Amino acid sequence: MPPPDFPVHERGNAQVTAELLVQTAVNGLLIGFVFSLVAVGLTLIFGMMEIVNFAHGEFLMMAMYASFWMWSLFALDPLVSLPISTLALVLLGIATYKLIIKRILNAPMLAQIFATFGLMVFLRSLAQFLWTPNFRVIQHSMVSDGRLELGGIFLGLPQLVAAAGAVISFAFIYWFVERTETGRALMATAEDRDAASLMGINSDRMFTLAWAIGSGCVGVAGALLSTFYYIQPEVGAVFGLTTFVVVALGGFGSIPGAFIAGLLVGLVQVMAGLFIAPSIKFAVVLAIYLLVVLLRPQGLLGKY
Amino acid sequence: MSQPQGDITGQWAPGASRTQPLEEGTRRSPLKLLALGALLLFLLIYPWIFTLPFQQHIAILIFLNALMAVGWNVLGGYTGQVSLGNTIFFGVGAYTSAVLLKNFLISPWGGMLVGIALSVVLAILVGYPCFRLQGHYFAIATIAVGEILYTAVINTQELGAAVGIQLPILPESWINMQFHDKAPYYYISLSFLTLAMLVVYKIERSKLGYYFRAIKEDQEGARALGINPTNYKLIAFIISAIFTSMAGTFYAQYITFIDPYSTIYLMVSITMCLIAVLGGLGTLWGPVIGAVVLIGLSESTRVMLGGTGTAVDLLIYGFLVVAVAVYQPNGLMGLLNSLRRRRK
Amino acid sequence: MPRRVSPRWFLSAAMLVAAFLAAVGCAQTAPAPTPTTAAKPAATTAPGAPAATSAPQAAAPTAAAAAAPKEIKIGVLLPLSGGSASTGLDLKYANELAAEIVNGKYDLNMPLAKTEGLPNLGGAKVTLVFADHQGTPEKGQSEAERLVTQEKVVALFGCYQSSVTQTASQTAERLGVPFLNAESSSPGLTDRGLKFFFRTGPTDATFGKNLFDMLDDIQKQKNIKLKTVGIVNENTLYGTDANKLTKQYAQERGYQIVADIAYPANTSEVTSEVQRIKAANPDVLFQVSYTSDAILFMKTYKQLDVNPQGILAYGAGFVDPEFRKVLGKDSEFVITRAAWSPDIAQKKPLAKAIADMFRSKYGQDMTENSARDFTGMITLLDAINRAKSTDPKAIQAALAGTDIPGDQLIMSWPGVKFDDKGQNMHAQGINMQVSGGQYYTVWPFNAASKEIVWPRPKWADIK
Repeated sequence: MPPPDFPVHERGNAQVTAELLVQTAVNGLLIGFVFSLVAVGLTLIFGMMEIVNFAHGEFLMMAMYASFWMWSLFALDPLVSLPISTLALVLLGIATYKLIIKRILNAPMLAQIFATFGLMVFLRSLAQFLWTPNFRVIQHSMVSDGRLELGGIFLGLPQLVAAAGAVISFAFIYWFVERTETGRALMATAEDRDAASLMGINSDRMFTLAWAIGSGCVGVAGALLSTFYYIQPEVGAVFGLTTFVVVALGGFGSIPGAFIAGLLVGLVQVMAGLFIAPSIKFAVVLAIYLLVVLLRPQGLLGKY
Repeated sequence: MSQPQGDITGQWAPGASRTQPLEEGTRRSPLKLLALGALLLFLLIYPWIFTLPFQQHIAILIFLNALMAVGWNVLGGYTGQVSLGNTIFFGVGAYTSAVLLKNFLISPWGGMLVGIALSVVLAILVGYPCFRLQGHYFAIATIAVGEILYTAVINTQELGAAVGIQLPILPESWINMQFHDKAPYYYISLSFLTLAMLVVYKIERSKLGYYFRAIKEDQEGARALGINPTNYKLIAFIISAIFTSMAGTFYAQYITFIDPYSTIYLMVSITMCLIAVLGGLGTLWGPVIGAVVLIGLSESTRVMLGGTGTAVDLLIYGFLVVAVAVYQPNGLMGLLNSLRRRRK
Repeated sequence: MPRRVSPRWFLSAAMLVAAFLAAVGCAQTAPAPTPTTAAKPAATTAPGAPAATSAPQAAAPTAAAAAAPKEIKIGVLLPLSGGSASTGLDLKYANELAAEIVNGKYDLNMPLAKTEGLPNLGGAKVTLVFADHQGTPEKGQSEAERLVTQEKVVALFGCYQSSVTQTASQTAERLGVPFLNAESSSPGLTDRGLKFFFRTGPTDATFGKNLFDMLDDIQKQKNIKLKTVGIVNENTLYGTDANKLTKQYAQERGYQIVADIAYPANTSEVTSEVQRIKAANPDVLFQVSYTSDAILFMKTYKQLDVNPQGILAYGAGFVDPEFRKVLGKDSEFVITRAAWSPDIAQKKPLAKAIADMFRSKYGQDMTENSARDFTGMITLLDAINRAKSTDPKAIQAALAGTDIPGDQLIMSWPGVKFDDKGQNMHAQGINMQVSGGQYYTVWPFNAASKEIVWPRPKWADIK
């Protein structure tokens, strides 16, 4: 390249295509981990009782607000208050189950959609009512300004921590489901509710547990997201749809499926944004979803 | 996985049979006809009694939403396939007539017919592959289709992209479907709704309706009886597409401004579905009742409380939606039916 | 189970009808407008004026000859919720302040300050009726209609987002009611040539030209050459128009456009957009974003180390106080076009007086958005006063004949005077830059209060 005749910055005009590719892929994976974590909660609940929680995105929003208020009022870093946000969401999940879901367990699918949709609207407006529609940002948390550089690739510290958090949560859930007795009871109930109750497993307890864990995942994801994403009542809508696609792509009820699908969606989204156009990146994700699901109706790793 | 009780969209009522048979014992009671006649009369003279624009606006909104919900109900309530992507037909209807009017000065009535044709084609293109999917998968696939169309339109300059299309203000006339007063809009939307309901009424009592219900209740059983489920689902889809497309064209003419956010948005699909569920799935009057209650509620709370920016109106709306879903999943029609049953 | 008709059926049907009528009837008694408040917008719903009394808006003015009204209602459409809510609140304060000054007696050299109320209308007080359009053109339209037909406002004001202003003003035109816009910058709004539409603030055509003129001046002064340009814009009317203008100017002046990115608001990440910009590496980056996206982009620029020589913004999110508050030092050195800058208050006593009042009442500084709305509201009220009537045609005529001299404005403009398309021909802009957390005028150079910092220091060097 001919030497430039004006002051240039360090990186210059050099085309760093390979580096750009890797950088983008890394970003995609990092956000993909967060998608996975949010999705795993949803798929767990669905796997248990075939209920799609349309308010799942709003649960995420609530978790983010919980982190925010603990930072704003008590100067607690989101990572420090993470256990508290998670607990708050666990309680929210249990409350939702006991007050609403339990009563519509046998109702037609549409009534279930209706109920959780109403919850979505309710939570979204509640947030706006209580905390105004202005958006909030957590400033200068432990990780929010951090950035790692590995061989020319920038890794935002908050995104990295979020991804790590997602992986740890997954590992925990996997261990719980596969290795503990309660976890296995959970899976048994998911597999065949009646048979499991014949074996002495209390379905109601299992359902409550599913909602608790599912919402807890969202709590963790929300706390992690709050370190780098802005918080406002509508943020649930942004992530909500992505989560549904991830769950359906991975296969309703499949936890490993949700994990893989989340990464895939994150990757596809940023790649499409880079190579095709940012304005249609999500449409590409959806198109890929449709393709997969038409060829393989049960999703990638789904059960039916 | 153990089957939840009741099929995926079946009526749920403790102690009642799984589906309400429609043919038996429907007596054309003179009392019922009288009530119907009184209602019709009231609707016809409504604009003369309630002359404020906002009052007529609410009625028009109700008819419009009821029309879309009636359309949705054909596929969702009667045939049991939950589509959350019907907004695509609304958008196609709106954009087709708007573009034809703006660029070629074609009358919106003609534009509406073209819109209907395009919607039918779209229904077949989308339905044929997607009807292979079941339940939630189908629902999310329809959401995906809606979002893809939304993205496509938002990125197409000729369709106004994100800015939308402002319909030209033309001299007031029936050919232009543009009027200064709201009354003509009122009557047009009322007639569309009445037409749709007549069609559904006929279907309810026909073989087609029987096939729809068979598919809803037990798709494999229906197949065993020689009914091809996909074909009939497509027919239901097409019918709902037609009504929704008409609603779209009307909307474009009424509001004189359309953009992707108001016409091809997930919330539009969800609202159609909500109204039908609130009113009562698979019933003729359900969508209408649902529209009356939902629109009346959301508009009145928004007007009274929305201006403060505190979203109290949506708060109440959301709460009520949850309450109804939990305590009366069969919708308001179910409430009426159970009142009737108790009386026996 | 056979269907049978029963009295219950009638009862339920009757209940439904009653519910519907109640809803419709409730709509008739619209609540009283939110009274002017100090810091927090309170929600009061006093029983509203019954719909039947005041004369219909579009009818011939028998009202003018009759007893002068005690209250003049103006409908103000703002984004009071959603991503631009903080701006909406800023604008609300500005309008409330203007109304308060008009209604009260203040010793200020500006229209209607020294008298109480509107003197030519018997001292009638101004009441602002606020409506939240939530940033959507459709709501803007229906709220505009409701304000005129239900609330009986004599004029409409708003809406901030150009896309909403477009539809709301179209409704106003249809209903024959004057619409004054102070802060939407899309040129297309006045190009329409609507009779009842007036805009006091500058358009992006002016603003864009100012930015490019500034680039010319910078290159001359610093003896450098800028070659490549990148544009990032949100995809509604505001962003799309600004994008078109920027491309046009860039091409006219021989720049190469290396990035042209339109994005939809509310995406979960903007890394793709920012990656593209980084790959293109423009010398100058133009950004057109509302508040939440502006913040997200800046954070991502920092994270991915995107370092153009200058980030030039078309106002909106970048002038929102939230922007500087949230980003802190990361907002330094951003340059934006503007119609007003806080340092004008240092040069103009009237501006200082108003800015001080604003700060003491609302606890935050006036911005170029609120300054524009303040000016626009005063212009509108001045016209209504000169019209001596609430008849829309009279107000429209009065607006068309507006001629407010520059020394009676808090802006640095020569005045307010509308051309035949309703655009204020004296509207001007400046460019300002963030320095030490505040915006300072940096262009035109001879009006600058601080020297421009160019090129922008790299992220690593911004301490």
